[in-house]
Amino acid sequence: MSKHHHHDVPKDSYEIPTSTWEKGRNIIVAVFILGWVAALAGYSLDHKQFFPSYLVAFFFGAGIAIGAALFTMIQHLTGSAWSVPLRRLMENIMMSMPILALLFLPVAFGLHELYEWSHPGIMKTDALLAKKEAYLNPTAFYIRAVVYFVIWSFWAWRLSSWSRAQDTSKDLNLTFKSERISAPGMLLFFLSASLASVDWVMSLQPHWYSTIFGVYCLAGGMWAFFAILTFTLLRFRANGILANSVTVEHYHDMGKWMFALTVFWAYIAFSQYMLIWYANLPEETSFFMVRRSGTWETVSGILLFGHFAATFLFLLARASKRNLNVLRFVTVWILCMHYIDVYWLVMPNFSKAGVAPHWMDAACFVAVMSTLALGFWWRLKSAPIVAVGDPRLEKGLEFQNV
Amino acid sequence: MADLAFDPKAVEQLSPPLVTGQPSLHDVTEAVSIHTEIETHRNWYIALAISGSVTLLLGSMLAYLIATGIGVWGNNNPVGWGWDITNFVFWIGIGHAGTLISAILFLFRQKWRTSINRFAEAMTLFAVACAGIYPLVHVGRPWRAYWLFPIPNADLAMWQNFRSPLLWDVFAVSTYATVSALFWYVGLIPDIAIIRDRAKTQLRHTIYGIASLGWRGSATHWKNYEKAYMILAGLSTPLVLSVHTIVSFDFAVSIIPGWHTTIFPPYFVAGAIFSGFAMVITLMVIARWVFKVEHLVTMTHLENMNKVILATGTIVGYAYATEFFIAWYSGNEYERFTFINRAMGPYAWAYWSMVSCNVISPQFFWFKKLRTNIPFMFVLSIFVNIGMWFERFVIIATSLHRDFLPSSWGYFRPTIVDILTFFGTFGLFITLFVFFTRFLPIIAVSEVKGMMIQTEHEKHYLPATTTGSTEPVKAH
Repeated sequence: MSKHHHHDVPKDSYEIPTSTWEKGRNIIVAVFILGWVAALAGYSLDHKQFFPSYLVAFFFGAGIAIGAALFTMIQHLTGSAWSVPLRRLMENIMMSMPILALLFLPVAFGLHELYEWSHPGIMKTDALLAKKEAYLNPTAFYIRAVVYFVIWSFWAWRLSSWSRAQDTSKDLNLTFKSERISAPGMLLFFLSASLASVDWVMSLQPHWYSTIFGVYCLAGGMWAFFAILTFTLLRFRANGILANSVTVEHYHDMGKWMFALTVFWAYIAFSQYMLIWYANLPEETSFFMVRRSGTWETVSGILLFGHFAATFLFLLARASKRNLNVLRFVTVWILCMHYIDVYWLVMPNFSKAGVAPHWMDAACFVAVMSTLALGFWWRLKSAPIVAVGDPRLEKGLEFQNV
Repeated sequence: MADLAFDPKAVEQLSPPLVTGQPSLHDVTEAVSIHTEIETHRNWYIALAISGSVTLLLGSMLAYLIATGIGVWGNNNPVGWGWDITNFVFWIGIGHAGTLISAILFLFRQKWRTSINRFAEAMTLFAVACAGIYPLVHVGRPWRAYWLFPIPNADLAMWQNFRSPLLWDVFAVSTYATVSALFWYVGLIPDIAIIRDRAKTQLRHTIYGIASLGWRGSATHWKNYEKAYMILAGLSTPLVLSVHTIVSFDFAVSIIPGWHTTIFPPYFVAGAIFSGFAMVITLMVIARWVFKVEHLVTMTHLENMNKVILATGTIVGYAYATEFFIAWYSGNEYERFTFINRAMGPYAWAYWSMVSCNVISPQFFWFKKLRTNIPFMFVLSIFVNIGMWFERFVIIATSLHRDFLPSSWGYFRPTIVDILTFFGTFGLFITLFVFFTRFLPIIAVSEVKGMMIQTEHEKHYLPATTTGSTEPVKAH
């Protein structure tokens, strides 16, 4: 914090060396081709398996992008300084939005495979579903998806492009404009992402409902966003990128956020489970009945002990949040747990008998995530990887936990 | 960045000053301590006389109730919970802002919390005291209230029902009250020591000396103090969420439409913070003027609190909308009926009062002009408190008054005892405040001073302005 320290620290270049960038690009492109070849092969072999596997991968990626957008907006609203050195990377993750709109096409295309309520004629035979027809019908589903992606992409683009414009202009007004747009952005993201969770995942089991479901999905997505951001930064650090700008102090703070969201997710998950268990109404317990029978019960146990208890213990101590090796492990752990969580939300609707992992789960995951990674990687080249024009950057670089 | 020079006004906006008028550190001590040291003002006695009389009214209402029975309240069949539980939840909700400001904003390094945390924490304790009265007398025989605790007893051949959220409430609220009191007191210790050191009489020196627990302000003391403060902040954080979560369980574990919904826990917590912040605004607007601390509790503080009110009010609106949407989406006709009945049934007046006060009124805070307008925020904060009272009333009364069987439908009307008891709790709340403002520093002096020094250090990270640096903080 004191004045004389901050001139001694060697400065980072704020860009990725071309050779490293090209190496990364080659790997991602190779994985991308491999992933899509496998996913498309899977689709032609067994499209009944493809769509659920794809939905899991898509929802995993979408949650992370929404988490990135929400956190970026929170940083603008609170005038945060500590996170400024990381913000450009958050913006690059958030800019997955337009790509996700494209990645949504297979979900839209597989509507009838995925969503029971979309079957023609079902509204005539199922009296309960008939009551929901005004919401659960293909036209409304498509229109809503378009609205979500327009909102998400617009806000992501607006914040990201202002931030990039500030790199050269150093215009303080862009800081204030970003702050102003973030407040309505939070509101719109919260509403649209909650409805998207209902549309894309909750309606897989169209008789079931839970008011907290949107918050549950948002909590998990934001958690995974921190993990992927921290993991990316640690990989950068291993390659000497941003090694002096993003210090253990910043990692400590990201560790705190992951810890907080571990607990928040558990709080939301517990609230949902406990209230449904306690009231014991058949139309609500149906969700947990499947997930508490057969091998799905084991997966539920993994979420309880792995998603919550173990992560809680990993991150509780100050020392572990400041130990980069521990953090690297925890970020991978969190991403695995979040995948299991999304899998646990989607898959029991398609294999009620028990867990049935399939190679297509992996293929779709690789395809979707490598597509997003590609977009992320290209954006690293088109602007500095740190928001160099932000007036709070220097304060953020010098930040220390006291 | 150094080659660019910015408009100082814009740079100031990046990190608005949390203390205005550039007082020295000593000026701050003076401004905060003086009201505990001057001769008691006539107005203080007047305030105490008024609030004390209202407290006596509360006492007499409770005595009447205990002597007569719960029947003096308007609770009936089917509305078995009436104003009593409404008021309990109302007060307990108000008690959430203090710990949120002290603990959660502390963990989030929000420096602006330092000027308001003491005051808000005191408010928390007093609100919890008011809240505690209701379940205590609602048990019917308050002299048996210790049966709520799992202590071995000869006169009661039964054990507490650990499956009941009402019992969880006992633990949640008492834990919250204990930890909040501890947190508040730990924060007070260095400030009580300041008053001790400034004491002009031996008696005063002795009393504040005992209360400051031998604080000497050595480096070791500060080190332990900061550690204790951090631990208490960490412990209080889950408590902020747990208390209102458990309160929401009182309703949500049931199968009553309108009560049983999974979003209740976070929705109740958001609502509690919302009402708590509104109450802080109501009281702070008056207190900063009465005690002349406008330079310490600045417009920046008030504006930030108003932003929190806007955010939490909007979260509450999100919860209302989700509940309504899912009630429709569920296709369950009882769920649908309950919500239509709320909006259009006999309690529609209460429902729409709630929506106007809680969801619509905070939206005015989107405008900077309005959220920095003191009379406006004062009125709006009262609206929010009215709205949050109505929220609990709506939840309780509308879900109960129309049972599954139309033959057992009813309507709740408060009695005069209900009304006077509720009015009386305000007397208790204000009386406790009147004492607090007389004897203890209402602003955390040492924290504000620490914050002033830290802010001064951080100034050189901001972009250079056209006018050069501002004056540093003056020492003693």
